[in-house]
Amino acid sequence: MKKKLTYLLLSVLILISCLVLAQMSTSNSYMNGLNLEATYEVGSDIVLKFSKVAGESPLIYLTSSYGSTVLSPEEKDNEIWYRLPSNISDKIGVVRWKCLSEGDELTGKFTLEPINTVASLETYIGPPSIEAGGTDYTMMVVIPTDSLDNPLPQNTLVNVQHQFLEVEESEEVATKHLIAFQNLYSKRESGRMLVSSSCLGEDSKEFSINVAAAIPVDFSISAHRPHHYADGNQITTFSTSIIRDKHDNVVSDGTYVNFLIANADGNTLSSSGTTLSGIATAKMIHPEKAETWRVTAMIDGIAESNSVVLDYEQVIEDFELTFSDHNRALTVGPLQSFMGQMIPDGLQVKLFIYKDDQLLEIIPKTSVEGYVIFYLEEDIYKNGDYRFQIQAAGMDKKIDNIKLW
Amino acid sequence: MKEITNKYLIAALLLGLVFHGSAIFFTLESTYDALIHLFFADHYANSWFEPWNYEWYTGFSVMSYPPLVHQSIGILSLIGGLKFGMFAVAIIAILLFITGVYRFALLMTSNKTVAGYAALLAVFSSSFVETLHIFGQLPSIIGISVLMHSLPEIYLWLKTGKLWYLATSLSLIAVTVTSHHVTPIFGMVFFIFPLIGMVIMDVSRDQVSSMKEVTFKVFLNSFLKLFKRIVSFGMLSLVLIIGCILPYWINSKANPITQVPIPHGSRDNFLEILSSGLVFFLIPWGVLLILLPYIFYRYYSKRYLFFGLSITILTVLGTGGTTPIPLKVLGETAFNILTLDRFTLWASIMSLPILGEFAYRFVEGDLKELIQSKFGAIYHRIIGGVLAGLFVFMFIFTMSLGYFRPSQPQKIKMLPIVNFLNQDDHDKWRFLTLGFGDQMAWLSAQTNAMTVDGNYHSARRLPELTTRPIERLENSKFKGVAGIGSLQQFLTTPEKYNLKYIFSNDKFYDPILYFCGWQRLRQLENGIMVWERLNIPPVSSILPKDKIPQWLKLHWGIIPFLTVLIAFILNIQMLLVNALKTRIKALPDFLKYPLPYNKFSSGVLKITHIWSFFLAALVCYGIYLLYLKNDSQRSPENAVISYYDALDFKEFNKAYQLIHPASNLSIAQYMLEVSVTDGLLSSYAKMNAIETEITNYNDSTAFAKVITEWITPLENIEKIDYRKLSRLNGKWYLHPEDLNSDLPPDQLYSDNVTKYYNQGRRRITTEQTHHEDVLKQPVLEVVSAKLVKYDGHYAIIGHVQNIDNVPADVILKGTLYNDENKELATYNAKYHVKHKLMPKESSSFRINFEGIAWSKTEDSIPDTFNPDEFTPVEFEEQPTKFNLQVAGNVSGSDLYKNMVLSEIQVGTESVSGVIFNSGIQEITIPQLLITYYDKDQNMVWVDHLFVKAGIRQQRKQAFDYKILDGGAVEVINDDMKNIFVNGLPNEAIAKKIVQNRIEDHMKSHLIKVNDPYFGYIKIEMNSYIGSPN
Repeated sequence: MKKKLTYLLLSVLILISCLVLAQMSTSNSYMNGLNLEATYEVGSDIVLKFSKVAGESPLIYLTSSYGSTVLSPEEKDNEIWYRLPSNISDKIGVVRWKCLSEGDELTGKFTLEPINTVASLETYIGPPSIEAGGTDYTMMVVIPTDSLDNPLPQNTLVNVQHQFLEVEESEEVATKHLIAFQNLYSKRESGRMLVSSSCLGEDSKEFSINVAAAIPVDFSISAHRPHHYADGNQITTFSTSIIRDKHDNVVSDGTYVNFLIANADGNTLSSSGTTLSGIATAKMIHPEKAETWRVTAMIDGIAESNSVVLDYEQVIEDFELTFSDHNRALTVGPLQSFMGQMIPDGLQVKLFIYKDDQLLEIIPKTSVEGYVIFYLEEDIYKNGDYRFQIQAAGMDKKIDNIKLW
Repeated sequence: MKEITNKYLIAALLLGLVFHGSAIFFTLESTYDALIHLFFADHYANSWFEPWNYEWYTGFSVMSYPPLVHQSIGILSLIGGLKFGMFAVAIIAILLFITGVYRFALLMTSNKTVAGYAALLAVFSSSFVETLHIFGQLPSIIGISVLMHSLPEIYLWLKTGKLWYLATSLSLIAVTVTSHHVTPIFGMVFFIFPLIGMVIMDVSRDQVSSMKEVTFKVFLNSFLKLFKRIVSFGMLSLVLIIGCILPYWINSKANPITQVPIPHGSRDNFLEILSSGLVFFLIPWGVLLILLPYIFYRYYSKRYLFFGLSITILTVLGTGGTTPIPLKVLGETAFNILTLDRFTLWASIMSLPILGEFAYRFVEGDLKELIQSKFGAIYHRIIGGVLAGLFVFMFIFTMSLGYFRPSQPQKIKMLPIVNFLNQDDHDKWRFLTLGFGDQMAWLSAQTNAMTVDGNYHSARRLPELTTRPIERLENSKFKGVAGIGSLQQFLTTPEKYNLKYIFSNDKFYDPILYFCGWQRLRQLENGIMVWERLNIPPVSSILPKDKIPQWLKLHWGIIPFLTVLIAFILNIQMLLVNALKTRIKALPDFLKYPLPYNKFSSGVLKITHIWSFFLAALVCYGIYLLYLKNDSQRSPENAVISYYDALDFKEFNKAYQLIHPASNLSIAQYMLEVSVTDGLLSSYAKMNAIETEITNYNDSTAFAKVITEWITPLENIEKIDYRKLSRLNGKWYLHPEDLNSDLPPDQLYSDNVTKYYNQGRRRITTEQTHHEDVLKQPVLEVVSAKLVKYDGHYAIIGHVQNIDNVPADVILKGTLYNDENKELATYNAKYHVKHKLMPKESSSFRINFEGIAWSKTEDSIPDTFNPDEFTPVEFEEQPTKFNLQVAGNVSGSDLYKNMVLSEIQVGTESVSGVIFNSGIQEITIPQLLITYYDKDQNMVWVDHLFVKAGIRQQRKQAFDYKILDGGAVEVINDDMKNIFVNGLPNEAIAKKIVQNRIEDHMKSHLIKVNDPYFGYIKIEMNSYIGSPN
């Protein structure tokens, strides 16, 4: 029994040492590259071939910009082939390889070069809108790529064309660090710039850039009104001249213009308008009393207009007050306009009621067909003496000691 | 003895199924709770083992509610959709309830006929109808039903000690626990404890010859004898209550409910708030109220003594805030968390066996004989008719409640919204619904998009929500200041929550949306308006969630269904035997104590009569009071109140009826006059309070000073009107108000405006940002900005201008720092800016730093509503620097600029003037931005004024603005270094485009005021157009 065990142990030992020997013998051998070149074209079927040596064929370690991998060998006749996977052979750049055998380190590198035909032009442009005047610009970036999406070699020429108004220009730009770029400066005029690029016979699509007017410069305004009376009803329209920038471009539609009106009391009224083809209009309702308006328009902080002075003539020179029904009904009117016609409905008349010099109430009312009637309810205003003040169309009328009964 | 099928039970089941089974299709979806359960069910249907739900509240755990009912709906939904699942579970609930009441009644009365009566009456009991058809509380119904099923088993275990019964009873308790957590806890106290008492009584009774001989000693002896069984049952059920929903308890410990209590009607004083009294007291009790003396009489008999105590406590607790007792008994915390209506529900369910007994005795028992012998057969018939009539009336009344006073808005078609969210990656942002009611849960169930809101308030996590007593943002208008305040915070800083879309079903919110910088996108085909906000980043693709251990997830997914399975296996045999009568079974122990029903106490009959008369008198008096209150023309006050009520509810015909006939106003004319007034007050206000002072009052004429308080989404408005009233033929009428007779000059006029349209995607592609379609962000310039302190709060004020060539939507975000550059607060400009600027237009702005209002629970929440209420951030340190981020985005909407300041008068304390609408749109809400300058013309503050009335085309509207009197403004920092526009430094932009800014322009806007602190003001105008055409 013991003998058997000893034999067994011995034979096992022999087997192990044989295996070790076999291993050592492979590591001593070396391979020779057969078809190794310094450059390849991307996308081609790349096989690294080595001469066959005794023993096991080693694995090969590859590293490229895409990543690293280990390839197992294929044995063909007396050669060992390593076939590059497409994810590595499709990307340009340097590929380094190394045989994974102990001892002699067999290493090498090769470069994958792009196919020199353009399959697509990756193009970016921005910003899509710039200001006229020659200082603002947009940048066009073109990346010509081959059919495997690899950028073309440095210094590939890219043609950048653009059209603006009457001008069509074309310029050659060489790629650098894989891209070609060009700054396109605006001209003095506003308008639309169309841009495209081409490279090695391949053309990009069309891109458009909006060249908008620069900031506006001073302008002038005018006023139109149906009449010059302060009737509190008609509307005066203010309009600007065509607002332009310093290069004579009409400002963009929608530009906001403030119209400020300094009135006789020194207060500021305001209206506004937005431009359409450079002209902004604003409206203002006529005052209810005689007024002098000084109108100025401005684009905040940027441009302003001349001042226009408008005079509004008083229409209601005087009005009558009539008490009736135990003095409880107070009729104001007729309120007559400039030709003697009844003032249009809506003129505001305010009644101030005082008793013993105490203001009891202010009642605002609007005129209907030239008259305003206030009714003083018996239940609110007890019998007694009152003082009234009536304000209408900028006029003040006071009535003392009216007895309600 | 041959087993006979109980006809009453069969009838009850058939009736219940036919009636409730068909009615649920019309009621359940518009109940308060049903759709919430549907949402949870949808969660389980999609991710059974994953308890984290991202869709609500920026994520919450569904372990916050027992899962059984939701999981059942979820499982069934795999067959026929969510709604099928819900209706199927509802039908199961109906069956469980009817059979449960039958078994409970049988246990209590030992009489199958009585139990049959009880089951039949239970089908139509108003509390059940209300819980199912109005509240939609499916888990609660299933919980209490299974609890009732378990009661006979518990009785038998305690009485006989057979382990089989322990198993069956515990299996049913487990099902109760997994379907509703509150039911078994309180059920233990209110149903099982009295039941144990009853068992002890019965055991004691067995030892002596009559019930009278059961003394305390005997009782104690029996108690000690049963002690082991009681304790073993008690301990085991405790283990089940904790064990079956262990993840729930762990979750509630990890996320304790630390929120401000949400007001609930069941905690009101029912005498003060009659609607709460009706819903939470009168309806659930229903006809049982008449029988209260009998119910108490029976439950206070010796055998049921403990049930007597239990029902007394339940009744008292169910009265909510009417008496101070519930608050004292439950303590502040429990009182504010629990909804007290469940106590009334349980009391009414506990009364059902006695109701059955009463019905039996009245219809065919000793009570019939007593009444017939005392009052005659006709009286018996009349009383029978009256009781039956009342019962039917209560039933119909309860069912129709949802019809006449719908608790939910009209059913909304969800498909267009679901489609919208699926379109164009709209579900990459969070959304919010407004005015959807509980239907928001149904929307959430149908889409994967997330909302910041939610419908299960116990799971709320954001402090903006938990610190306020609101259930949902969605219905915030009903929650006063806290509600709108919370909503405003979400609307002002939506980027914090990635909130981009709002679906509005309620025009009320439109103004606040507009003034917070939102814009209308379009109206969906179901009439829902979609609002969007620009410059919001999408939700990140990886969202945080609470880590829940794997075993808890497995427990939550497996145990609840396992309890049902076990209960089914254990109880199915008994069920089949009972139902199919396959074999004669020994009479269960509880059937050994029948009451002979041979002598109805005439004392009880008398008391019931007196009680009924008392109730009848009370009802009549109540109706009389209601008549007095509702007779609109009985007094001048009534007339004024009904007139304003009618206006508030837009019932113009009713309002017209109250206008004095002598005023010769035709309804057509009246409608015309009413319809031409638009604006904050007439279109977006809800009357909150009305007070009338009748100043002069004689027989025929009265003058009323009417002080009304209106809630609008923007601010509180108090309005004082003076109205004249006259009496005609005993009725009071109001005189119509004078109309503004302003006549516009033009009949037809034209206006040219520049309109914009953004194509969005020019090409049909799913590519996320096709770079050619991305517009350049408009360039804005911050002309001035400074950090100021006024009246105790800090603000960043300034002046921003759109210096680009396209209209811009402006979003301003300010951050405050202290000297050590520590960030103290950040907030966006709310409505102190014109959010939409035309090219070269400018606007003043102010950024307030709002804290989370009432974030400290000790801060009392004001009762009165004031959406304009402002809670400044509490700074621990002094802010000294600020950073301002301005973002512009191209926007073509809400660019109406035709507002004209046509008159101005400067008074001593106020500035008044007239605004004129010169354009072709009707201005719904005009807003004035008032910028204050000091004597040296330096900008110091920005304020606003919403003009209450709208302005029609070519019309004028007067305003009156009170100059602020908060003292001087302290300018803390006016360094403009840290200002960025679209991420680029403002300085560089300022230098590049407008190189030579004309500084004097600012000065020409100024209006001189007479104020000790301020020298000048500037008025800018902004307008909200309610319905652009």
